[in-house]
Amino acid sequence: MSDLLVLVSGEAARRMKEGGQWGQITFRVSDPDNVGAVIAVSDGSNPVMPTPLHSTNHFLNAGHARGQHRWYRAAPELHLLWWHARNTGREVALEVFKEKVAGRWLSPSAGRNYVALTVATEAPAEYPDISIPEMVAWYVTPDAACPVAIDVVSAEHGFPQLAGHWPTTHLAESSIMLVGAGSIGGAAAHALASYGVGRLVLIDPDRLLSHNVVRHVSSAKHVGRLKVDAVKQELAEAWPATRVDTLPVDAIAAAHLIRPRLRHVDVVLCTADGVAARRVISHLARRARTDAVLACALQDGAIGEIIRLRPWSDHGCLTCHREALTARGAMDPEPALDLGYGTGTTHRPMTAVGGDLHLVAQVAAKTAVATVLERRGHPDQKLPGEHAILGLRPALGWAPPFDLNRSGDIRWLPHSPPHPGCPTCEEP
Amino acid sequence: MDLTKAFATFQRTVDADIDQVKLARERRDAFKRALKGEPGVLEVFGSGSLARSTQLKPVHDVDLIAVFDAAVHPEWGQVGDSSAEALEVVREMVKRLLGDNEGTVAELVRLAKPRDRAVKCFIDPPEQDDAFTVDVMPVLRQADNTLLVPSKRKRYWSTADPENLIAQVEERQQEWSHFRPTVRVLKQWRHGVPTKVKSLVMEVLALKCLPTDKTRPLALRAFFTAAAVEVNYGVVDPARHCGAIQPDLDTEVLRTALESARDIAEKACAAAADGDSDGAALLWRELFGDDFPAPEEKSSGTAVGPFLYVPRPVVDAPQG
Ligand SMILES: [Zn+2]
Repeated sequence: MSDLLVLVSGEAARRMKEGGQWGQITFRVSDPDNVGAVIAVSDGSNPVMPTPLHSTNHFLNAGHARGQHRWYRAAPELHLLWWHARNTGREVALEVFKEKVAGRWLSPSAGRNYVALTVATEAPAEYPDISIPEMVAWYVTPDAACPVAIDVVSAEHGFPQLAGHWPTTHLAESSIMLVGAGSIGGAAAHALASYGVGRLVLIDPDRLLSHNVVRHVSSAKHVGRLKVDAVKQELAEAWPATRVDTLPVDAIAAAHLIRPRLRHVDVVLCTADGVAARRVISHLARRARTDAVLACALQDGAIGEIIRLRPWSDHGCLTCHREALTARGAMDPEPALDLGYGTGTTHRPMTAVGGDLHLVAQVAAKTAVATVLERRGHPDQKLPGEHAILGLRPALGWAPPFDLNRSGDIRWLPHSPPHPGCPTCEEP
Repeated sequence: MDLTKAFATFQRTVDADIDQVKLARERRDAFKRALKGEPGVLEVFGSGSLARSTQLKPVHDVDLIAVFDAAVHPEWGQVGDSSAEALEVVREMVKRLLGDNEGTVAELVRLAKPRDRAVKCFIDPPEQDDAFTVDVMPVLRQADNTLLVPSKRKRYWSTADPENLIAQVEERQQEWSHFRPTVRVLKQWRHGVPTKVKSLVMEVLALKCLPTDKTRPLALRAFFTAAAVEVNYGVVDPARHCGAIQPDLDTEVLRTALESARDIAEKACAAAADGDSDGAALLWRELFGDDFPAPEEKSSGTAVGPFLYVPRPVVDAPQG
């Protein structure tokens, strides 16, 4: 069985630090997990006031509440003893412990052991180099105080922890539109949020159906909901720093809703199925002078592909890019492309595996984030090209540049120039 | 060598001569004094790089804006000949107040010629190199505080907000004392780009791409990285009134030059981070030209060589 762990929320820690000499604590406990979290604190003999847990759906919300525990203000040396005892597997004699804490003492008795938190806001002066925690936990028995592991949530947790190592501010200020919340799109949403993108606009009209679950980041508990709502809720839990707006519409039918929003995002990442939706996004993004990244799997999941379309004078749109590959004999146009709208298959059959699609999503998210950051002056985010091909399950015999022959290989290629007369690339 | 000192030395070669700036300001002030007393003139102030302190040497032009009272000139601002008329009013004023034989305030201006938007006033004799001129533009102030500026050629008045640019540059300067000096460095750098780049293009790119929270080398590296991308989206009036600053700009040539500068700046920063400040200085010299000081020869007599990457082993300190 693992060691006991005590969780302290930022609010609970603040009350104790700013309080007097001692107080009462109520924990919520899960015995199978051997974890307890502070859910209420008092300052001395004042009323015990609730302190919220880490998140609204934290697993300990279903645990048992146990009162009659204590916190004490302590001499800094006690925390040095805690640190030493934790590292040597020892305990601190009860008399020593009692001597080093202030406030109203609660005596442990047989069958009435308790958990004590101690607060010492200054490290001992004789050990200025050692980082001694301000708050530590103990299991107090009639004989001894045993040091207990503690995790205090600080206000600096989250992306501020990475500041100085990663351009958190530039990304927090950025916003990315994600068209398609399917297997690639859902995974891309999580990936973008994990980079610290400040705002996402999710666009997809579909609901999560039971057959989607095998490849989608959203689990069976969301079946029946709109995919954008399922992903939005998961992001709220996993990445609260990212603001998520949703627009459950079809990119082709609702181009008029997408067009104005494109002007207010840094990049649009399109993971939609089928050629038509990708062409619409390529065209609208070019007109809005917004960078676009398109991600998909080709050849039944054998190849992953990421295209970055920059609206630059010498860079072509998706159609120009595809025409160049077709002219080289590298690619055939989609067979259903010329069928009328609604008669072709808009969704590809499910043949690619979820993990591979998530890998494509991860590289696509990196591409989108690098695009934002290079424009903000980060030279380490230059990409090797504008078109990436990933070997997922490569087979022999495809025409270059799709002639990958190893899984995990990533090949970067340059952009294609605009085709003369292209209705997307030539200024209206 | 000390890179901070090297940048300071280089900066002095870029910055306009103090006496020249002083003379430019004196001449500007003579114009201000003269025009301010005229009926129908509400305000006279400087615009252009001298007003923003981003002027590059040599200083040979000063831009002045004269705000006229629309009540006195009710027909100004309308389509037609009123632009030419406004320029003619200014020309007459300059001649009468500042003309070099009968000017009532000062005898300064040899020739005042109405151009498209402003009256160009020639002061120095024509045979002098970098002959000095003052451009005076008549404008009207609109209710939202923006200006209406004339165009003789297009025969209409358009909205502009030069004070917005002055305020933005001032704001950046408050954030970072190297802002204006670095803008001058960038304007100087553009003379090496193999296509014509207006100095205002560099200034507006700097507003967008030059960070104000870094050292000069790191800020320059970030500038060249960001600007090589940004220039492809068009460089427009930051107040969003006048559109593209230089419609005939060859974006691809400027981008390629910015990318090369970025690559050199990246190497220079890597050299400095490696403790090789001589190598870094050589690279900055490659980027900015021979005005950037070269490192001294080593006492052993060996010449300073170019910075070479010494491949470093990767530390086996895994994060999971
Ligand atoms: Zn095109």
